[in-house]
Amino acid sequence: MTESKEEKVVDIVHSEAVDDPADHHAPGTFVLVLVLLGTFAVYYFANWKALADVWHVR
Amino acid sequence: MANTATLGAAPEAEDSPATPEKPKGNHRAGELRSCDTTGLPICLVAQQFIRLNAVMAVVFLLVGGISALLLALTRWPAVHLLSAAWYYRILTLHGLNMLIFWILFMEVAILYFASTTLLNSRLAWKSMAYVSFGMMLVGAVMVDYFVLAGKADVLMTSYAPMQGHPGFYLGIILVAVGTLIAVGNFFATLYIAKRDKTYVGSMPLVTFGALAAAIIAVVTLAHGAAVMIPTFLWSLGLVGAPDPAWYRLIWWGLGHMSQQVNVCAMVSVWYFLATLTVGAKPINQAVCRGAFILYILFINLASAHHLLVDPGVGAGWKIWNTSYAMYLAVLASMIHGFTVPASVEVAMRKKGHNSGLFSWLAAAPWKNPGFSAFFLSLVIFGFGGGITGVTLGTEQINIIAHNTLRIPGHFHMTVVGGTSLAFMGLAYYVVPLLFQREYYARGLVRAQPYVFAAGISIMAIGMSLAGSYGVPRRHWDVEFAGAQFSAGFDPSAHVMLGIMGIGGTIAFVGLLMFILLTVAAVFFGKSNAGKAMTAW
Repeated sequence: MTESKEEKVVDIVHSEAVDDPADHHAPGTFVLVLVLLGTFAVYYFANWKALADVWHVR
Repeated sequence: MANTATLGAAPEAEDSPATPEKPKGNHRAGELRSCDTTGLPICLVAQQFIRLNAVMAVVFLLVGGISALLLALTRWPAVHLLSAAWYYRILTLHGLNMLIFWILFMEVAILYFASTTLLNSRLAWKSMAYVSFGMMLVGAVMVDYFVLAGKADVLMTSYAPMQGHPGFYLGIILVAVGTLIAVGNFFATLYIAKRDKTYVGSMPLVTFGALAAAIIAVVTLAHGAAVMIPTFLWSLGLVGAPDPAWYRLIWWGLGHMSQQVNVCAMVSVWYFLATLTVGAKPINQAVCRGAFILYILFINLASAHHLLVDPGVGAGWKIWNTSYAMYLAVLASMIHGFTVPASVEVAMRKKGHNSGLFSWLAAAPWKNPGFSAFFLSLVIFGFGGGITGVTLGTEQINIIAHNTLRIPGHFHMTVVGGTSLAFMGLAYYVVPLLFQREYYARGLVRAQPYVFAAGISIMAIGMSLAGSYGVPRRHWDVEFAGAQFSAGFDPSAHVMLGIMGIGGTIAFVGLLMFILLTVAAVFFGKSNAGKAMTAW
């Protein structure tokens, strides 16, 4: 649970739709997303390679 | 975004002349309490049904978990525990209890919570909630009985022309109709909340996500009715056998879409746990809601990837659905995969964890099982389930993976490592806040998400790698003992199956920890009524 001195959940839900553009700064998450995309690219093309190894196109 | 969602006033403030602009709830006398921890208004009628559904969910989780262990110890060649007949019987039991019953009961609880507590509304139909719960429970018990009695060894998919006992199909129909009634109750509650103006502006994002799940559930259950009613009549001998290709096409409208209901519910739970654990708010409502709408529009088409080697549907249909439409649903998951951790990052940075790229992540409340379960669920779902899912859903690649153990390797990372783990994290708040009971052995509770996440990840990796060697799914003996000719697999595949068995055993330990700790808390836990829950 969030600490009692912090904003209560009811107040967070109450104000969740108030959008603050300053909240759009998440550089750490952006790096994590890039790691995910890199992982996907490696896995995806490794699978195409595996397919090419067993299914030769003449 | 411009419009502001305003939750109805807390009960003690409802009659305050100082806040006349705040909407009032529509609760009947004596049916409302204010949560001592979150300040959220809790409809006592809804709370009763949230409790009932959550308890039954855990009961079916136990049934599915025990069967999971038996299966893992059978597919581990060095152990090979069950006989062939019992392997397929238990596999049927496992699929239905884990993928359908545990998750559906939890989702009904989530629907009731999202439409009442978050909208400050009463539950629309108490009697219908009883009917829904009764039908789901009777149906699920019927299904389990007929499976264990050996009268429905047809696996979860029950592909025609395999035929089970009519009671098995009737049980599934009862569960489906019961769920549909619960979904109807959810829609009715949304309606009366809007009518009675218990909130203004847009509904909260968690409720919006639950609404997306409910809409997909209606389409899912329509497919279920279309396929299961004729199959039930066939099992009674009243009509002819369904066409197998038709059956598979329609069944996957039920089978895969039901998993997309899970995804929507899981993402909603992620957002809610982010709020509960670190005080996060969604970083952009329009984007998050747009992603849920993408699920509604395109996720059903993704069902086509189950039919990628079926001869009854054409290549154009397969490629459109899996290589174009499906990616729009994947885009939705990628959006949530960014916005959920980003909301955590923003909340943590506001608390002062602002240095470097990852101090917010290092300082996150990793000892809080609600947070660790949610974040591990996010990572396993995205890195494990998401990446493998997109790859396996590619028509050309699917040809080297179809019906191998890579497929269950994928969906154990989405549905188990993703959805089930997220629901476990939710339980660590549901029990203290709605059952008003405290957990014992809090050190074990804190460890549980890690044990379960490690076990299911190891198991799924073992499955995926064994599948890469061509080991089939749903197969009792991949060595074909007693066959006239050698048909076994590379010894490396056996190593992978061993890893799968070890991972499955660890995951079962984690699951058993969750069940025992939760049951102990619900039935014997110290009451926290009238005061805030003990902070994790």
